[in-house]
Amino acid sequence: MPLLNRHRFLRHVAAFSAALLAAPVVAWAAPAGGEPVWFGVSGPLTGQNAQYGAQWKAGFDLALDHVNAQGGIHGRPLAYNFEDSQSDPRQSVAIAQKLVNDKRVLIELGDFSSPASMAASPIYQRAGLVQLGFTNSHPDFTKGGDYIWSPSISQADAQPLLADLAVKTLGFKRIAVLYLNTDWGRTSKEVLVKAAQERGAQLAIAEGYQADEKDFRSTLVRVRDANPDGLVLISYYPDGALIAGQVRSVGLKQPIAAVGSVYSPKFIELGGAAVNGIHTNTAFFPEEPRAEVQEFVKSFRAKYNKEPDAFNAYAYDAVVYAAAALRQAGPQADRKAVRDAFYKIKDVPSVIFGKASFDAQTRRVIGVKSVNLVVKDGKWAQIDEKAAVASSK
Amino acid sequence: MSFTSFFDYTVNGLIIGNIYALLAVGLALIFGVSHLINFAHGSVYTVGAYIGWASITYLHTPLPVTILLVVLGSGALGMLIERVGLRPLQGAARIAPLLATIGISFVLDILVQLVFSPDPRSLPTQLPDWRLQIGTGTIGALDLLIAGIGVASAAVLFVFLRFTKLGWAVRATAQDRDAAQQMGVDVDRVNQAVFAIAAALGGLSGLLVGMYYNNISPAMSFQATLKGVVATVVGGVGNVPGAIVGSLLLGLIESYGVAILGTPYRNLFAFALLLVILVWKPNGLFGRKRALPPEPLTGTFIAPSKPWHVPPRLLIALTAAAVALPLFEPSPYLLQTLTNAWLYGALALSLTLVAGTIGQISLGHAGLLAIGAYASSLLVLDLDLPVGTGIVLAGILTSLIGTALIFPAFRLRGHYVSIATLGIGEIVALTILNWESLTHGPIGVSGIPPLSLLGRDASSNEAIYWASFGAMVLLALLQWRLLRSHLGRTFRAVREDEVAARAYGVSPDRYKALAFGFGGFAAGVSGAFTAHMYSYINHETFGSQISILALTMVILGGLGNISGALLGAVALVSLPELFRVTAEYRMLIYGIALLLLIRFRPQGLLGTV
Repeated sequence: MPLLNRHRFLRHVAAFSAALLAAPVVAWAAPAGGEPVWFGVSGPLTGQNAQYGAQWKAGFDLALDHVNAQGGIHGRPLAYNFEDSQSDPRQSVAIAQKLVNDKRVLIELGDFSSPASMAASPIYQRAGLVQLGFTNSHPDFTKGGDYIWSPSISQADAQPLLADLAVKTLGFKRIAVLYLNTDWGRTSKEVLVKAAQERGAQLAIAEGYQADEKDFRSTLVRVRDANPDGLVLISYYPDGALIAGQVRSVGLKQPIAAVGSVYSPKFIELGGAAVNGIHTNTAFFPEEPRAEVQEFVKSFRAKYNKEPDAFNAYAYDAVVYAAAALRQAGPQADRKAVRDAFYKIKDVPSVIFGKASFDAQTRRVIGVKSVNLVVKDGKWAQIDEKAAVASSK
Repeated sequence: MSFTSFFDYTVNGLIIGNIYALLAVGLALIFGVSHLINFAHGSVYTVGAYIGWASITYLHTPLPVTILLVVLGSGALGMLIERVGLRPLQGAARIAPLLATIGISFVLDILVQLVFSPDPRSLPTQLPDWRLQIGTGTIGALDLLIAGIGVASAAVLFVFLRFTKLGWAVRATAQDRDAAQQMGVDVDRVNQAVFAIAAALGGLSGLLVGMYYNNISPAMSFQATLKGVVATVVGGVGNVPGAIVGSLLLGLIESYGVAILGTPYRNLFAFALLLVILVWKPNGLFGRKRALPPEPLTGTFIAPSKPWHVPPRLLIALTAAAVALPLFEPSPYLLQTLTNAWLYGALALSLTLVAGTIGQISLGHAGLLAIGAYASSLLVLDLDLPVGTGIVLAGILTSLIGTALIFPAFRLRGHYVSIATLGIGEIVALTILNWESLTHGPIGVSGIPPLSLLGRDASSNEAIYWASFGAMVLLALLQWRLLRSHLGRTFRAVREDEVAARAYGVSPDRYKALAFGFGGFAAGVSGAFTAHMYSYINHETFGSQISILALTMVILGGLGNISGALLGAVALVSLPELFRVTAEYRMLIYGIALLLLIRFRPQGLLGTV
């Protein structure tokens, strides 16, 4: 938790002076030297989605430390230029032109939201610069062309796993879905409902809410009247925590399963006692013993003195994929070589996927590993599969 | 719906209405005295929440002390806002303080974000956790505290306004500022007191709402301002008890809206209620029986000034330079930024005609962009029309739909028009979200074909640049010609004094429709171009922030001033890009630059025409 103290203030002053000097900050690392290899980032550092931009940054910087400690890209350090788009398409297209025109930039990461990312896609595609939209799960995102790639978890892969958790493990027969009414929430809901029906459950009701809504009591009364025996939340952690906080106040006692995006230490901080007993199925869980996860979590804690969440992990992974492609492309790579490298990189060690490979047809990463979690006494804990199955019978 | 559920929806509506009431009371108070919609109110509410968070986190204060600190801190902030944003602008047009509060809100939000980080934080309630069973739901101690504070503050305000000397002075100032000043009332001090009280209430409501949801974030201010304004208008602007009833009504309508049609329709019901009230009882449910408050005669809402006359030669030279620019192979980034500026220029032209020349300050212009963008994309994608045809048809459709939507608001004046258009803009966005069979809802429209004109592909940076510049220049010349005819004079006559214009046999409604029709065409074309450039749009692409940005451009350039609108568009699109090197401080610098401009050139850079 960042504190408002003199140290933080001085950091601001320092950052401000550095920013005024317009010196892009380069993360130097001892083993790598010489002219850096650049990637560009277009993402929200200010505006409505600024919190996600801040989480990206933390993930990027950690990944840079890691990549550069291992000798960078063919001996040159990896560095990035993060341009603030506020997740606004008008600015993301200008940034796209800027990055496209900067010959040092070999690959671009971002933007955060679909409108901002997809508005910039034609520019990246035309100029032949890879756009790696690592949080863009919109089904049409990678249809923008052969330079548009996405390692974001495909909803077609992730939602059936959540349906398994809700229907098979928790035994929901009539589900109520509350989803964030954006392209992501909507797509996820469609896939989830279909998967749940295939597993023999019925949809009692589905309610879409706006990102800036805070009061869900009336929505929850509507849900209650539909008589579900379980709730599924397709939310991010702030809204997920808000809904959980209000569920009990309208007299709903049904069990709740939530999509993996709620996985964050913040979810428990914002939800308090209300989130106890909520299940989720997530691709990122810091306690997972896999080496990729443990290495990431340990170094994240050491660097930032706090717990990582899903968005930190997505950003970290995105840099790792970019680095893998840049290495694959060779020391004198141009942008086209970087694109070609994405077809070739196989089994890149990844926090989210374990081993990530891109599918040549969809330009997305296939397959997703995930674990089932539950909030127990204010902590995320892995469900003991056997116990859960036993209780649902 | 069973009776139990109906009862629960009613209770929920009252609970949320309760929360709106806290915001609306402060807004109503400020409007009552200074006839100003204080757009910074939501930001004060956010600051209040964070003051509370800081004092609980660092000083471990008990609830009464926390409340005291929040009240004092927010009150001081209110005084500061009055001193910086209002007092220096007293001689200026009434539109200047409105813009100043928008600028202040902008700066405050960014400051909160820089100091406390953008991440949402939890703000645990400091009240005992007992809950009361009501129907099948429960209400807690905090609900009662919020209701109590709402009612108590209204009662205290009532007594203060009715029985104290300062209260009399406040009411006198509200009725007639100049007369009050002549009677020896220190109007500045009154304004300061009012801002302090309103801000203290705003900050306190931020604290309570934050505790209620156990969630505060820098992004919470805009929604708060929006709902507070709607509640205030429903109850009757400037009427404190009315604001409370209006808030409760708004809460109930939203809750019943969710009950009947579902969650996505919640805000649609809220803004529909706003429009119904505005059309049916423009003074709100509890406004006085009097007709609309007489807009004072000329020169208060929009003050004409001596516009700076741009020499035609300079204009021609600038146009030639802009046309020739791509030939010198500048960076694509510069071209793209200017292309954005030209597209916004078309939007600003539209708004400067509607807001400046005929005096209908619109806060919903992004809605027109959205209509144009969707119209062109869907025409081209679903009916296989050529892109050029799609753009022209989109302009015509936007002109028709926009004018039809705004038509009921023609009888309104001054601030009421801004609030009505704000509501209409939100309704357009929500309709796009909910009318899935046509618009694909939240999934949006993807794969919009790139720009092509007369069968030739025009998707290169240069082609888009020239096409958007050409469209903008054409629209500007049309508008210029329009204003040089008798129309320009008539528009301005309607703006200056509607009653006098009517007495001369001018039908204001027809001229307003003409202005909105022409303006709608320009905005629709701009939106259509944007859609073909982006290739993907959804309901978030043209948010309400764009409406405010467009109004800022127009006011900066000088209302009704064609060259001014274009200058404003170029300035406001390129300034944030120029400040890019300052990273996260970029928007702060931009906000401060905006405030300084309003402070020293309230009539706009080139002057109001």
